[in-house]
Amino acid sequence: MVSDFFHPNVGGVENHIFMLSANLIRRGHKVIVITHSHPPDRVGIRWLLPSLKVYHIPFPTIASSATLPNYFTFLPYFRTIIVREHINLVHAHASLSSLGQEAILHSHFFGVRTVFTDHSLFGFEDAASILTNKLLAAALKNVDAVICVSHTGRENTVLRGQLFETSEDNPSVSAVRPSVYTIPNALVAEQFTPSPQPRPTDTINIVVLSRLAYRKGIDLLVATAPRVCAAFPNVKFIVGGDGPKLNDLLQVRERHLLQERIELLGSVRHRDVRDILTRGSIFLNTSLTESFGIAILEAACTGLYVVSTRVGGVPEILPEDMISFAYPDEDDVFRAVSEAIQIISEGKHDPQEAHERVKGFYDWMQVAERTERVYQGVIQSEQIDFCTRIQRTMSLGPFAGPIYTVILLVDCLFFMILEWLMPRGDLDHRYSRSLLENPL
Amino acid sequence: MSRPTWKRILWQRQPYPDNYIPADSFLASLRRNPNFTPYTYWPLVLACCPITQHLGTIFIFVAVFVRLQQRSLDARVLLWISVACFLAGYLVWEVLNYSAPPRGPSSRFKALKSSLLFFLTLMGLAPVLRTLTAATSSDSIWALSACQFLLNTLLADYGCTNAGSQSQERLTSVLSMNAAVSSSVVLASRLPDDLSVFSLVLFAVHLFALFPMLRHRFGVVPPILQVTLTVSISALSFSLIMSLSPFVTALTFGIYVTVNVVAPGVLVWAQRYKNEIRGPWDVAVPRVNGNEIQCN
Repeated sequence: MVSDFFHPNVGGVENHIFMLSANLIRRGHKVIVITHSHPPDRVGIRWLLPSLKVYHIPFPTIASSATLPNYFTFLPYFRTIIVREHINLVHAHASLSSLGQEAILHSHFFGVRTVFTDHSLFGFEDAASILTNKLLAAALKNVDAVICVSHTGRENTVLRGQLFETSEDNPSVSAVRPSVYTIPNALVAEQFTPSPQPRPTDTINIVVLSRLAYRKGIDLLVATAPRVCAAFPNVKFIVGGDGPKLNDLLQVRERHLLQERIELLGSVRHRDVRDILTRGSIFLNTSLTESFGIAILEAACTGLYVVSTRVGGVPEILPEDMISFAYPDEDDVFRAVSEAIQIISEGKHDPQEAHERVKGFYDWMQVAERTERVYQGVIQSEQIDFCTRIQRTMSLGPFAGPIYTVILLVDCLFFMILEWLMPRGDLDHRYSRSLLENPL
Repeated sequence: MSRPTWKRILWQRQPYPDNYIPADSFLASLRRNPNFTPYTYWPLVLACCPITQHLGTIFIFVAVFVRLQQRSLDARVLLWISVACFLAGYLVWEVLNYSAPPRGPSSRFKALKSSLLFFLTLMGLAPVLRTLTAATSSDSIWALSACQFLLNTLLADYGCTNAGSQSQERLTSVLSMNAAVSSSVVLASRLPDDLSVFSLVLFAVHLFALFPMLRHRFGVVPPILQVTLTVSISALSFSLIMSLSPFVTALTFGIYVTVNVVAPGVLVWAQRYKNEIRGPWDVAVPRVNGNEIQCN
């Protein structure tokens, strides 16, 4: 597993990598994680609980915990780790993680196969998207398999990474590569159990847990919360999270004298999420873009009825009777929330039953099993040879193609220099018990 | 045994492999070029007219400067032309603002007062401006003024506003005006006598500060007047440059043709490559109170 995003940071990607690794270890594989270091104390090699070894590479981060893409300086570290740990397969996570993209570039020299998981959705119109999409397309030209977390995410990644290739029987038609998979996230249902005592029916608490930012649609929340409070005197809001839009919320609370009815908790630790969720009966998500929406799942699993905007991959994750959808429009969100309040006050939604259903939907062990099947497919497939790699890289475009080909060739030279400078025999090898028992 | 149809859901394991791609529903919600209205050629040509007018004023100014320096143009004549242009422009301005709410005689009085004040200040400053760059070599001045005119052309505001709406001046258009005026000041400092300096800077202020303000209001005039104005400005610039340098005349002609004839054609042609991709992954635009809220 290679990604810039890992513990001690917290977030969807970080948690995904950890849970997937833990379950792969449980299935008898050997898993190590490579990420960047977090000075002063998270440096070197660390072990996490289910015997997961984490290498912290000493690279400085530039923005939001991502390292600067520099293509070559990672190679010496990477080579040593790969040789030392006898790695057969590299799994890179998150499209904005340059460590992951570089790992895909270097892996081919060792005969190590590559898998990439994309966690987010991107547009196509602004300059930042165009640039990062080109980087992604370059990295994905030579990857062996791509995993996406939702069907919408898969469509997006296929378009961004240009994962098309001409089919053999009809060269004029380009089809999507067969190595693009959809494997959803999962959650640990035991961590999100509904509270055993029934909720009071006289007040209905609406829970919002999100970063308070524009992309999370806080403007919609700011607009609808006073309307909901005016229309339903027994409704309260509990808002957890922090961010640039906190001021808007504070202002609207002041203006409409709703200090009693809109509770702002500030930033919430992940382990407290369940306690906050169990206080409410409706979970409101106003996000404007969401590739998977793990927070919605956690809420649904805790037995809350979910109201969400119909964006990204959200419509795929829950059956229609557990969630109400709204268009990102003030009036429509208000309508959906009113509907949800109706359902809750009539007692039509049973938290315990909802929990049991969600428990059956998602399971990390199943995710690990499906991912393992992808790994097996990749290892059995034939490796892309160097000429094909150059051809594929050149097909990136008239400008980007030659640039990336030069990077590839220089990287190859650098690799040969390293082979001569630090022969593989001189590196200390590490044999673990699980590897000897179960060579993947 | 027939398999159940594939559904676009994640919460249920389906009897399909994870890399199954449904032929009909994959990328079904992809939309290409929504809300796309292609440009047509002639409206684009009309929209390019302000650019040609702006370029025309720059060439006219440069030609006038060269003639003043060669002493083939009397500074007094230029002064009278400037004043006549100012009066004519002010008349047009009043006509275009006829529909706008009347602003009363006080604003006209203010305009008169400030223009007189400016006139006198400039007259007093003319000797200072004449010797402003005496210690600088002429080559630097040519290069500096060329760069500043380029900046002026790039940053100028070629849009148009309707009469009555008091829109805010954008920073770029203010920068553009400053570049042009400072360029004319350094050029004026190469002139031999105070009167030429005075009349040239006055002319520059009319061309680069007042004319763009007037030009912004030309959106409402009928296209035929717009075209007539453009043609007459370019013809005037030709007639002024013609006797100075045939090469520059050819260059000017080339620039006009490129801007007004070729460039709109290139834009129309390039539209075939427009490929805007929209889909469910795009960041939705929230609507609050009927208005869309953009990211800030």
